[in-house]
This record gives sequence, structure tokens and C-alpha cells, in this order.
Amino acid sequence: MDDIRSSMDNMMAIFNDSITHSAPKKLLFNRLSTSFCDDLVVAAPKKRRLERESPDRSLNASAASLNSSSTDPLGSWQCSKLRTELIETKAIAIQLRNEIDQKNREHRQALMLAENKSAALKEQCDSTSKRYLELQKEVQTLRKRELALKDETRRATEELAQLKLKYDEVVVKLQKEKYLQEEDARDVQLCINNELSEYRRMAQRADLELQSTRSELERLRRRHDEFKARVSGHEELRGNYEKQTQSLKVANDRIQELEFEIQSYNDWKEVTKASQERLASVPDLRAEVERLRSHNKHLNTLIGDKLLLEEQVHDYKTRLDREEGARAEAASLQVKLAHVEQELKEWVKVAQDHCLANTLVSPMALRSRIEQLLQDDIIHVAEKTSSVSDSKHLQTSVRDLEQKCAIYLKNIEDLNIGLKRHKNFKERLQRKLITVSKERDFYKQLVENFDKDMTMSNASVADMTQDMQVRYRVEVLERTVTGYKDMCATLEREIQAMRQQELLAEPAGDGYDSVKKELDTLRLENERLRRRKEELELEMMHRCLRGDFNMKDFKVVHLSQNPAAEAYESSQNMMEKLQAEIERLKRRNKKLEDDQEQRLNETTSTGGMTLNFKEFNQLRADLESANGKMRKMKDCFKAARDEYRDVCYMLLGYRIDRIGANSNYRISSMFAEGPDDYLDISLNESSCLALLESPYSQTFNPPIDQQLAASNFPAFFSALTLELFQRATVTIN
Amino acid sequence: MSTAQATKNCITLKGSAQIIAEYLKYGINSILFQRGIYPAEDFDNTQQYGLTILMSKDPKIQTFLQNVLSQTEEWLSKNMINKISMVITNAHTKEVLECWDFKMQAELGDGENTDPTKLTTTKELARIQNEIRDVMRQISATVSYLPLLDCICTFDVMIHTLQNTELPAKWDETGAIIIQNAQAVQLRSFSTGLHKVDTVVNYKMSS
Repeated sequence: MDDIRSSMDNMMAIFNDSITHSAPKKLLFNRLSTSFCDDLVVAAPKKRRLERESPDRSLNASAASLNSSSTDPLGSWQCSKLRTELIETKAIAIQLRNEIDQKNREHRQALMLAENKSAALKEQCDSTSKRYLELQKEVQTLRKRELALKDETRRATEELAQLKLKYDEVVVKLQKEKYLQEEDARDVQLCINNELSEYRRMAQRADLELQSTRSELERLRRRHDEFKARVSGHEELRGNYEKQTQSLKVANDRIQELEFEIQSYNDWKEVTKASQERLASVPDLRAEVERLRSHNKHLNTLIGDKLLLEEQVHDYKTRLDREEGARAEAASLQVKLAHVEQELKEWVKVAQDHCLANTLVSPMALRSRIEQLLQDDIIHVAEKTSSVSDSKHLQTSVRDLEQKCAIYLKNIEDLNIGLKRHKNFKERLQRKLITVSKERDFYKQLVENFDKDMTMSNASVADMTQDMQVRYRVEVLERTVTGYKDMCATLEREIQAMRQQELLAEPAGDGYDSVKKELDTLRLENERLRRRKEELELEMMHRCLRGDFNMKDFKVVHLSQNPAAEAYESSQNMMEKLQAEIERLKRRNKKLEDDQEQRLNETTSTGGMTLNFKEFNQLRADLESANGKMRKMKDCFKAARDEYRDVCYMLLGYRIDRIGANSNYRISSMFAEGPDDYLDISLNESSCLALLESPYSQTFNPPIDQQLAASNFPAFFSALTLELFQRATVTIN
Repeated sequence: MSTAQATKNCITLKGSAQIIAEYLKYGINSILFQRGIYPAEDFDNTQQYGLTILMSKDPKIQTFLQNVLSQTEEWLSKNMINKISMVITNAHTKEVLECWDFKMQAELGDGENTDPTKLTTTKELARIQNEIRDVMRQISATVSYLPLLDCICTFDVMIHTLQNTELPAKWDETGAIIIQNAQAVQLRSFSTGLHKVDTVVNYKMSS
């Protein structure tokens, strides 16, 4: 629109220019400009008005121009021009209309576009509104969250405030503690300070001491220096002293040396003197020397000779020894030689004897002979062994053959027995056959007789009369009867003979039936024995399996401390305990039945009855054993006592009996004349024996009385014994 | 050749006795568990011969078995044992309810040495253990047909030795075991090459 307006303004400007500049040109330009204006009209009502206005204006303008130009001589040209211009303007108007249509179309398109755009924008608006709603919702949620978060923050702040309070309290506490600790620290510090001050004092004291010691030390050092100086002086003196002593020593040594030298000089002097003397006597000496040399040589030669001789002697001695040895050896060798020759001779003899005749007697021959003999020997031994083995083989074969023979013999015997049986059987069968055949013959004869009868009757019926027939028949029958009788007699004789034979043959032979019976019995026995054997085997196997064992070869051992034994013991103990418990409960029961609860309380205290029961049993057992022991001991003691008393009586001749309860003893002698001759003695508290009065004591002789008076019981009793013995022997004599 | 032979493992009499003593230990423990002589909580699992065997934890039983089996091993290495019996009796009435017999038979082995005190065998240990395993399995299976022991039972181990065997201290001689109305079942036997062991269980038939 703006463009169009601008273009329209331009056109209007141009039109105005055209108008102003030139007339013809003006019109053209007007038309052109108006056409141009028409062309550029847009499809808006305003625009249309403008458009309408513009063509109208253009028309008006043209009309005006027409009007203006109508009066001109050029009016026709101008009219044609105007017409042409009109046509042109019409064309232009058409063009413009087309353009307007186009523009309308474009406008419509633009409108459509705008509508689309608006629709789109509406949609966008809708979406945006939706989004807006959503966002509102979100905002609400966010606001809620915000509220919640604000609550939380509030709570958090509250908590924070609480925590702050707490921490403040804690802080306060800590501050208090800190305060306390600070106080403590201050106290401690004070203490430490006190201690420090003390230490300082001590340190000061120590310093003072140190100073004092230092001063002393310096003094000592000074003294030390003084002493050192003195010491050095002393050492110098000592050194001097030592030097002097050394020099003294040296001097002494020197002196000694000099003395030695002097002595040696003296010696040398003497030696020189001697040597001078000697030198003086040198020629003598030389002569002496030569003499001695010669002597020496002589001696040497002698010595050499002597040595040689000694060597020779030694050699000869050794040779001699050797020769003696050799001689002895020779002698022994001769003896040996003699022996050897003898032996050789003997060997030669032996060889000669043993070698083959006419061969040269030499060791080789002998050896060959010996070898030959050995070979022969070996051969013989081999032959012997082979023969032994052969003989063994033969023996074994012989044994086998013997066994086979025995077997065959047995077989033969069996077969013979079988044969005998068969023979007997055969004989019996033959006899049976004979009898059967005889019977058959007999029956045949009967049948023949009957046939004969029949034929006879048939043959001669016509000839003979009835009587004749009967007589003939009777005769025939009598003949047959006699024949039968004979046959019977023979059969009976045969039967008797058979019976006799049977009687004779029974013991020796064997009836088939008896054999059969024997066989049957043996079979039964066999079966019975087999069954028994099987049974026994089965039982044996069972016993073996079951664990019975052979007592003879094995014994059964086990550990004495084994679980079974422990179990038995424990079961026994349990049994005893249970029995004790039973006893206890029975008693308790009784007491409950009889009495009341106080007794029950008493009985409950006897809870250890089980133990007491066991102890009771044990004590009973102990008591019984003790009683038994006591009885045995009593018996032993009695026997010993009796024996002892008898021995005493026999050895000493007096029997001592204890009477009453108060150590009263009665003593009676072996040789007493009567049972009343006894003495009573009692033992006092002070273990003194006192003889009591008794009728017998008064019959004693005075000497015995004296002894009694002396209270010498052994002598008394011995005297008494002797007297009684004398009396007894006297009376016996 | 001799060196090749020497490297093979040979079992001696002592080794064979040891194997058998070990079998007896595990066998007796297994029987104690299977027959319920002692309560099951007294037993612990161990692995042997490729099986799980329950062994008693009670120290008294362990020491008792140790003593018996060490002596058994010694006697067995000298071939003095005919039979080893494990006897199960009623703890109160002392009646014998079961008797497990392990019978020993000496074999010659397959070594070169023929001295009766130095026999050896080359049978492989694995084979022997397999055989023992079969027997142990059979022992476990006997539970199904042996009569129930419903009283308190206890056990003892008795050894049948030669008459001339010297008895050490703590060993006593006892009499034979007789079971009333007995049934016998023979289990498998195994051999170590030097000893053949038969296992038989005799039990009282519960009529």
C-alpha cells in the first residue's frame, strides 16, 4: 500500500510535471500517469475508492483536457489523440483492472495467509494458553512446594534455633568447664610456679655449691700445678739419677771388660809364651808329627786290614751259618729225597700195578690210566643212577601193574561172582525150563491121550461094542494113570533131591533174594548215612558261621577294661542304687502311713540312705569276712595252744592249768601218782609266784621244803620231778 | 629287571596288618552307629575309602579301640589271630544279641621271598580299598534286615588267638560266645594279598 501510494505520488508528481512542462506531453503523461495510477490500485475499499477516484480523476482530467482542448484547431487531431489516449487509457484501465484482480487475488492470498497466520497464531495462542495453564499448575505446585519448603525451612529454622539453644547451653557448659579448668590450670600453674621457685632456689644453691666447688677446683689446680712443677723437678732428678746409675753401670761394665781384657791379656801372654815355646820346639814337633803320621798311616793300614779281616770273618761266619743251615737242609732234603724216592718207587709200583701191562711206566700213563678209570667210574655211576632210576621206574610200573592186577583180580572176582550167580540163575532157569517142559510134555501127553481117546472112540466105534470100548478105554486110562503116577513119583523124587540140594547149597551159595535183601539194606544204610553226613556238615557250617570255634587250637582273649564290663558294672550300680531307693521309699511310705509330717521331715533328712545301704552291705560283707577270719584265727590259736601245752608237758614234765579268773595256776606232774597230786600257784600283782596250800603240798620232804622256802621254783620242780621219776622207776623196776 | 621290580610298591605283613586294623576301626565304628549302640550325636563324619563314615567322638571308646587294635595289629603281623569278634550284648542281662565275626586267613602273597616272616604282596592298595569299600557298604545295608535292638546294649571286642600266644597285661581269657537261636549272614570278603578277611554277622533270631 505504501509502495502503491508512493508510486501514485510519483505519478502525480510526473503528471504535474507533464502538465507544467508541455501541453501534449502533459496529456500523454496524464494518461500515462492515470493509467499508471489505475494500474497500481490495491483491493482495499480505500484503495478502490482511490482507484475509482483515480480513473474518475483521470477521466475527469482527460475530459478536462478534452474540454480544454476542444476549442483548438488541432481539435480533431486532439480528438483522435484523445481517442487514442482513451483507448490507451481503457487498455490501461483493463490492464489496471487485471492488475487489480491480480492484486485482489494476491490480497486474498495474503488474507488467506493472514488467516492461516491468524489460525496458526490462534493455535499458538491456544497452546500458549495451555502452556499457560500448565505453567499455572506448575506454578501452583511450585508454590505448594515452596510452601512445603517454607514449612520445612521454618521447621529447620526452629530446629536450628533449638540446636542453637542446645549448643549455646553446651557452649555455656563448656565455658564453665573451661573456666573450671582454667582455674585448675591456674592452680596447677601456681603449684608449678611454687615448684619452679623451689627448683630455682635449689638451682641457686647448686650454683653456689658449684661456685664453691669451682673455687676449690681452682685451688686444687694451682696446687696441682705446683705439684707438677715439683714432680717435674723430681723427675728431672730421677732422670739424672738414672742417667748416673746408667753411667755407673756402663762404667762398671767397662771396668769388667777391662778386667776381662786384662785377664785375657794375661792369658794371651801365657798363650804367647806357650806358643813361643812351641814355636821353639817346632822342628821337634815336626819330626814328631811325621813320626806320628807314619805311625798313623801304619795304624790306618792296620785298621784297614783289621776291618777287612773282620769283614772276611763276618762273611765266613755268615757263610758258615748258611752252610750249616744248608747242611741241615741238605740233610733234611736227603731224608726227604729218600722219602720221595721211596714214594716214587711206590708210585711207580702202583702205576705199574694199575697201569695196563706192557706200557711204559710214566706219569702220563698213570694219569691216562687214572683218567680212564675215572671215566669208567663216571660211566659206571651214570649207569648206576640210570639203572637206579630204571629200577625205580620199573618198581613204580610194577606197583602200577600190581595195582592194576589187583584191580583186575577184583574185577575178575566180581565177574566170577557174577558168573556164579548167573550160573546158578541159569541152572535154576534150566531146571525151571525142564520142569516147564516136563509139564508141557505132560500136558501134551494128556492132550494126546485125550486125542487118542477121541480118535480111538472115533476109529473103533464101529468095530467094538460099548463094553469093549469101555474096557479098552479103561485100560488106556489105567496106562495113562500109571504113567502119571510114575511121573509124579519121579517129580517127587526130583523135588526132594532139589530140596536137599537147596539145603546143602544155601549156606555156601547165595540166594538171589537174600542178596537182594542185603543190597536193599545196604542201600538204605547208605542213604541214611549220607543224610546224616549232610546234616552234620550243615550243622558244622552253621556252627562255624555262628562262631563256635575249635577249643583245641584257639583261645579267646579280650581287654579286661572294655565297654561291656563297664556297662555291666554301671548297670549293677544302678540296680543297687535303685534297690536302695526302693528300700528308702518303702520306709518312707511306711512312715507316711503310720505317722505325721514331722516324722516325714525327719525321714527326709535320711537322704543318704542309698549310700548307707551300700555301706551297710559293704559293712555286712566286711563283718562276715572278719568273723570268718576270727574263727579261723581262733581255731589256729587253739591248735597252737594245745600243741604248745603238750610240748611243754612232754619236755618239762608238768602240766600247768589256769584255774579261775585270777591268775591261779594248777600244776601237776607227769609222774604224779594220782589226779589229786597237784599244786596251786597264784601270780601276784607284782608278778611274784606264790605256792598255795594244797593236800599234796604237805606230803613233800623237808629238802624240797627248803627249796620252796628259798622260793626257787625251778629247782624245786626239778627236784620234785626227779623224785617222782625215781619213785616211778623204782616201782616199775 | 630287579631294579624295575624294586620300585613297585610291596605290602609287607606289617602293612597288611595295618590295613586290616584300619578297616576294623572304621568297621566297628560304623557298626556302633548303625546298630544304635551309642546315640547318634556321639558320632562325627569322616571320609575314608571314598565313603562317609561316622566315627565315635567318645574318648573312652577311642582309647579302648586304639588299645585293642594296636595289639591286634601286632598279633596279626605274626599271623597269630584266627578271628576277631565284636559282640553286642544286653547291658543288663548280659545276653549276647549279635556277634560280628571278622575271620582272618593267612595267604602266601606273591613275593619272591618264601620266608614266612618276610612275605610280601604286590596287590595294589586301590584295589584293596575298593574291596573294603564294598564290605563297608554291605555293613551299612545290613540295618535293613537285622532285628531291632530295643534294649540298652554294649559291645566288646574279643580276639581268637593261638593257644601259645603270650597275653600282655590287661588282657584276659574268656569263654566262647553262644547265641541262642542264631542266624548267620556272610558278607563279602576282601584280601590284602597276605590276609583274607571274611565278615560274618550272627544274630539272635527274634521269634
